[in-house]
Amino acid sequence: MREIVTVQVGGFSNFIGSHFWNFQDELIGLAEDPGGDPIYKNLAINMDVLYRAGETHQGISTYTPRLLSIDLQGSLGSLSSSGSLYNRRPSPDPSSVLTWTGKISRLVSEPHKKNIFLQSIDEEEHEKERVVENGVEKCIPPSQVEDRDRVECLESDVHFWTDFSKVHYHPRSLYELHGSWTEVQTFDNYGIGREVFAGGLQGEELNERLRFFIEECDHIQGIQFIVDDSGGFSSVAADFMENIADDYASMPVLLYAARHPGAYMDLLSRKQSISRMLHDAVSLSKLSSLCKLLMPIGLPSLTESKLSTFLHIEDTKTYHSSAVYAAALHSACLPFRMEMPGPTADSSYAAGAIDINGIVQTLAGQAHQNMVTILDVAMPAPSLIGDHGSGSFQRSVHSLTPEIAEDVEDLQSVESFSVLGAFHSGGYRASISEVEDSFYSTYQQITNPKFLHLSAAVCPLPIPLPFPSIFGNLVGQRGELLSSPIPGSKPRGSLDVSSIPMATRLRSSNAILPFIEKRLGNLRRFGICRGAAGGQLLQSWGFGKEELEDMGESLSKMVMLLNDSEMYSDSD
Amino acid sequence: MSLRVLNPNAEVLNKSAALHMNINAAKGLQDVLKTNLGPKGTIKMLVGGAGDIKLTKDGNTLLKEMQIQNPTAIMIARTAVAQDDASGDGTTSTVLFIGELMKQSERCIDEGMHPRVLVDGFDIAKRATLEFLEKFKTPVKMGDMPDTEILKMVARTTVRTKLYEALADQLTDIVVKAVLCIQNDHEPIDLFMVEIMHMRHKFDVDTRLVEGLVLDHGSRHPDMKKRVENCYIMTCNVSLEYDKSEINAGFFYSNAEQREKMVAAERRQVDDRVKKIIDLKNKAGCFNPFMLQVCSDNDSNFVLINQKGIDPPSLDLLARAGIVALRRAKRRNMERLVLACGGEAVNSVDDLTPECLGWAGLVYEHVLGEEKYTFVENVKNPHSCTILIKGPNDHTIAQIKDAVRDGLRAVKNTIEDEAVIRGAGAFEVAARQHLINNVKKMVQGRAQLGVEAFADALLVVPKTLAENSGLDTQDVIIALTAEHDKGNVVGLNHNTGEPIDPELEGIFDNYSVKRQIINSGPVIASQLLLVDEVIRAGRNMRKPT
Repeated sequence: MREIVTVQVGGFSNFIGSHFWNFQDELIGLAEDPGGDPIYKNLAINMDVLYRAGETHQGISTYTPRLLSIDLQGSLGSLSSSGSLYNRRPSPDPSSVLTWTGKISRLVSEPHKKNIFLQSIDEEEHEKERVVENGVEKCIPPSQVEDRDRVECLESDVHFWTDFSKVHYHPRSLYELHGSWTEVQTFDNYGIGREVFAGGLQGEELNERLRFFIEECDHIQGIQFIVDDSGGFSSVAADFMENIADDYASMPVLLYAARHPGAYMDLLSRKQSISRMLHDAVSLSKLSSLCKLLMPIGLPSLTESKLSTFLHIEDTKTYHSSAVYAAALHSACLPFRMEMPGPTADSSYAAGAIDINGIVQTLAGQAHQNMVTILDVAMPAPSLIGDHGSGSFQRSVHSLTPEIAEDVEDLQSVESFSVLGAFHSGGYRASISEVEDSFYSTYQQITNPKFLHLSAAVCPLPIPLPFPSIFGNLVGQRGELLSSPIPGSKPRGSLDVSSIPMATRLRSSNAILPFIEKRLGNLRRFGICRGAAGGQLLQSWGFGKEELEDMGESLSKMVMLLNDSEMYSDSD
Repeated sequence: MSLRVLNPNAEVLNKSAALHMNINAAKGLQDVLKTNLGPKGTIKMLVGGAGDIKLTKDGNTLLKEMQIQNPTAIMIARTAVAQDDASGDGTTSTVLFIGELMKQSERCIDEGMHPRVLVDGFDIAKRATLEFLEKFKTPVKMGDMPDTEILKMVARTTVRTKLYEALADQLTDIVVKAVLCIQNDHEPIDLFMVEIMHMRHKFDVDTRLVEGLVLDHGSRHPDMKKRVENCYIMTCNVSLEYDKSEINAGFFYSNAEQREKMVAAERRQVDDRVKKIIDLKNKAGCFNPFMLQVCSDNDSNFVLINQKGIDPPSLDLLARAGIVALRRAKRRNMERLVLACGGEAVNSVDDLTPECLGWAGLVYEHVLGEEKYTFVENVKNPHSCTILIKGPNDHTIAQIKDAVRDGLRAVKNTIEDEAVIRGAGAFEVAARQHLINNVKKMVQGRAQLGVEAFADALLVVPKTLAENSGLDTQDVIIALTAEHDKGNVVGLNHNTGEPIDPELEGIFDNYSVKRQIINSGPVIASQLLLVDEVIRAGRNMRKPT
């Protein structure tokens, strides 16, 4: 088994993470459910890669994500930072203070109210406990709350990522940064996050928590970061990754740089937009230098993206957009959890296992040597044999990476496809070999990509109850695409759609060039060149001239490699 | 106003409004922290929105927990927190001092005085106070053996303001011993060599000093012993796991057989490293630099503590050779282990010699649920140690931890300052009398008022101490100043309100902490006083697309 530790840094990444862990929780639940769909019974996916087994002081065994989540103080809403499994809620009674015999004053902040969804989860758990305590099965009074109420309350009542989370977290998983005295709105540039690690103790605590999760791994394959790179969390992540590089030299790090649609707001003043542009440039340069593969995700608008054919996503709702990215992430990282080919692996449920190092070698180790990777997604994925001829399945994926070139023919590109629970045609679930056959016959007819890795699993993406209602009326109950719309204009959610097939593609291609070139250009124009408008700003972020030139150089090297190999292929 | 033309949304506050905004912010912050001060202060229980609890009597912690929004308050808070970073204490006093300087200034400014003149007076007073501090301090001779009693008094003074007396006194002994353990004549004290470890278990009074080290992890093999005596300790940073995963990527081999071969070759390299360690163990059995008695293989054990990973096959080999092995130790523990047990940390297994091994009398594992702790104890002549904090819940542990950190810093400061300051408000009263009686007269013109304001602001410390103890502030100040004018240096007895001799009571503060409060307080206050205009722009001006 090869473990992965997940690190989520910053607001939006925790929203994505919350959906992501809900998917995992749903998979675990469905596999155990005796009356569940047999498709989830044999996943051929090892949950232990992402989860750890533990035990509380009381000897109750636990199963929690190998996760470290970092966010600003106050971002956890009604969830306690030590989780709900290991600690009983401490008594706020002043007489319980043991360390002081003098006066005690109590400052109580307004308790965050749990929404109907969270309340009903709590209730369920209490009922479970009660049944166990009494030893005899008792008739449980049916819950007053209908599923529909729970789903609807989430549409209007999500303020924190914890509001729609049904997962139990380990007490070392959730970390709140304190003492920065900045509002969320002003925690928006690379410079401001640097103070977090500079202080010492907070950085140390984070290192310790990560070490706790890594120490217990026998064969860790790597760390995956989900970073909200739209603000100060970029530098928090970069500083953290620098420590990781020191402590765990050969550990491959995978990074999803995510941003929410709100991060693309129009800025009124020139100063603010320069700050934003420099932040983007510095953040790309720093983060890319500290990981093995970087996937920028986060379109300015999902409503206007091609995904909107089947999905109704409201850009203003973080709860909506994060669900799409979480689904893509789940699908993209599934191959890391499949059993490696060997005598024990059963290839009838999943095939194409690859570990983090493998994917790094595949995507970044080839012609372009390019580590900034594009993430494309089809959600829900169409059936393999479509009406639009061969290759239509492959053409159905759309990029979640912003600012890339469309329709470029890159003969050197390398791709890794991951297909979950695809339909063959109609409502018939394709077998692994059918997926493979369909891909190979398609790719024999075209010249690019140069290299393709394919992973496939029979199991689709389950839709947990707290998933937002974003499906359009062309999506059927099992995620199949319908030819005629279901009557009714309301978006459909987890009560109408139980699972969807997914396809994601990681693509290393020169289509990423505009993304990098834009940042390189901005860095030169506003940061490096003489009398640059943002020179002083960068200085206040703590960057000297030389460091900036190094950053510029590393970005231009990326650009060069992407251009170079193209010329290679011309001369071939 | 030109800015209005340029940016109609900007809020502009004129001079006097700006000044009052600053003064009010400083006073507000002062009010929040005021009740913290001293051994009779109020502990604060902060209950968060999700029911999380934090206990604190520490200004520093409280400031960090507060969601401060006011820019002036943030500026003061930053200064106060910087004070804590630099000298480990005095956050509350800094905030009180700045607040009081602003309060005194307000009075003068309302009477028509220009802030510039006040600031000049502050500057004179500050320099005079610092000079006075030099004369006032009580030198402490450090020499080869520091005076443990005075160290204890300083530590006790600070820890007693954070914890109830019995626990404070217990911790005082612990922190003094800990600092003396890591102290080395010629080098600056590195407090990181005191490990602070905690267990959610038992009671606060079970907190103790472990001469040696406590690690927060255990061995990862069922056959390794949970308790071993008379151990060689090998501290190393060598990867004992097979992690050359490029082989799995599939570019370097063309068939399964070739892949197998490469995997086997890689595995063999790791195994070789493990074998070298086992060889060292066998060699060490006959060599013992620490004990004079002859020993045989049977009564000595071998413990390997590695900063890098150890995978199950390597653990297996080690367990079969009777070695207890821990993986992924903290980076800092590499240093601490060597200081505690001797030997040296090795980065490669080539040329291993028994000299690089350390020694400990006892190594054992303690399990609490899923948490494992490994104690490395009974070491000889340790230069690193662990303070093991116990408590029934997280917030109690956190509060004790804060107090321990403060105590450690106080001891370290004393050793480095080679001086202490008589406490319980004695210094503040003495300095105030010095400023009023001697300095003020030498100053020309209206700057005198600045000196006076500064002098009165100093009294905020004894005043607050009295207030927190439920005493009448004016009575107390009159009694104290009267004694000082007679030439007696006295502080406040917080139980009776009578003057006391801090030297007799053993109440001492750190010299460097006081120095920094006097240095930074007036700087911030002056900056806040000299503000002409407050311009708030760029807020609430962003609109979503």
